[in-house]
Amino acid sequence: MLELKKLDSGYDFLQVLWDVSLTVEDGEFIALIGPNGSGKSTTLRTIAGLIKPMSGDILFNGESIKNKPPHIISRMGISYVSEALNLFTDMSVQENLMLGAYAVKEKETQLNTLDYIYELFPRLKERKDQLAGTMSGGERKMLAIARGMMSNPTLMLVDEPSLGLQPNLTYDVFAALLKLVKQGVTILLVEQNVNATLDITDRAYILEQGKIVMSGLSRDMKANEHVRNAYLGI
Amino acid sequence: MTNETSAAPMTTVNFMTWVKDNLPVVVVSVFSIILFVLVGLKGGAPQVFNVLVTGGMWALLATGLALVFGVMNIPHFAHGESFMVGAYVAYFTFTPINKFFLTTGSKFLIYSGPILAIIAAGLAGCVLGIIIERIIFAPLRHRTKEGWVMNAFLLTVGLSFILVNGTTLTLGPNFRGIPRYFDVPSLEFMGAFIAVDRIVATVIALITIGSLWFFLRQTKTGRAIRAVSQDETGAQLVGIDLDFIQTLTFSLATGTAAISGASLLFMFQAYPTVGLTPLYFAWYVVMLVGLGNVAGAIVGGFIVALLQSATQLFIGLSWQSVVPTVVMILVLILAPSGIFGSEVKGVQEQ
Repeated sequence: MLELKKLDSGYDFLQVLWDVSLTVEDGEFIALIGPNGSGKSTTLRTIAGLIKPMSGDILFNGESIKNKPPHIISRMGISYVSEALNLFTDMSVQENLMLGAYAVKEKETQLNTLDYIYELFPRLKERKDQLAGTMSGGERKMLAIARGMMSNPTLMLVDEPSLGLQPNLTYDVFAALLKLVKQGVTILLVEQNVNATLDITDRAYILEQGKIVMSGLSRDMKANEHVRNAYLGI
Repeated sequence: MTNETSAAPMTTVNFMTWVKDNLPVVVVSVFSIILFVLVGLKGGAPQVFNVLVTGGMWALLATGLALVFGVMNIPHFAHGESFMVGAYVAYFTFTPINKFFLTTGSKFLIYSGPILAIIAAGLAGCVLGIIIERIIFAPLRHRTKEGWVMNAFLLTVGLSFILVNGTTLTLGPNFRGIPRYFDVPSLEFMGAFIAVDRIVATVIALITIGSLWFFLRQTKTGRAIRAVSQDETGAQLVGIDLDFIQTLTFSLATGTAAISGASLLFMFQAYPTVGLTPLYFAWYVVMLVGLGNVAGAIVGGFIVALLQSATQLFIGLSWQSVVPTVVMILVLILAPSGIFGSEVKGVQEQ
């Protein structure tokens, strides 16, 4: 479904990603983990089209998307839930969600997805008229993920959903992501909470200093010496 | 009984905290209402209409400025030239229609001529906006976002220069005016006679502002414009085409300014530097209420017009530009982000 081929990327004169290759198959739940500043978010931002890669290629369903602008990539079915959330803070929860379905043409599909999302996140339904900027951190993460789902994406890139959340809310967010995967959505998840992430994902890539240093099944990773030392602190 | 006594102080307290939280807004509203009543008592219906006509115009122009600044982060100093272009287009559309009317005496043309001229001006403004955005701002935006606000500001100043001097070169510095749009007697309103042109200009300003407001609030594309002004990255991520929205925004701003210039042709006439005064006043308004604040710009337009009218009535005609300027300086010292204080995305980080 998604394939990064020898991707080099970064900001102006600062190259962050070096020769990154990874593949995500249909329906998989993939984790991308690594220390701070290793280029995890840069990887997602490059896929989403917010940063243009320096070299290499990004294939989505066989088609190169590396030179496409972000709104086209979003319309092709890739939804990026950024770390900064990028919510429309002066708009209500419902307006945010409806804008998530901006590229969906049929009004009926939009409303069906909205119903489904309210079912999935009852909390958002309770607060549908509240301004997004006045919600708590956990609710905002939920809203960002829900907004990302409104376009009925086939691939979701989720960036650090647990950042700054208390443990029980982190659990809620992860549960929501698992639900999505069960529905057939493919997810590429960037996380700092390595322990929990390896528990829920199928496969994982480890990114260190802009290079993929290891990849494999998540449960094998948990047993790996390097991962245990560096990320799990065991 | 106990319920009542405990409820009453609660609401008073709530009201007091609300007043405290929104102090600038409350002070300004109370002050404006008092001023409006005073102006109405001293000047009567003509002055009240004066406030509405100029207020509608400042509001319309300031809305465009606020929109362009909020969505595109451009401090637009060529906005007055959109006004100028509107005035010229209306003049060149209306004059032949009017001549034709004088020879035929068609009743239909009395009413449709001015409206046609104003619509033509609005359309011309929209097209001009698209052209300017596509050939000036879009290339710069695609090249670099670094120092954007300053670069964009300088571009608009240069653009204003080119448009003013280009007009002087091609059309000459002469004033081109019309005595009136509607060749019908003034309407009597509370003992005073008000020219139909003024009433129509007010109505057009209000309708334009109203439709713009409805468009921004209730339509999908309007929401997308607001989304871009609140979070550009977020807007791109949900599939909004930034280029389209920015071109549309600039086109709307230019178009509404042109409508304003056209509907006030009977007051201002058309000449190359006619846009200067409207530009200054529109900037007073957006600085007064806070940059990028569209709702504030509408209210602010009427407040500035009220200030002008009151100054003219109580101090003297020649002071009517001084007082708003003093107020603006005071606002910049006391409340630099405007009385309705709004934060504009993008500006601080640049």
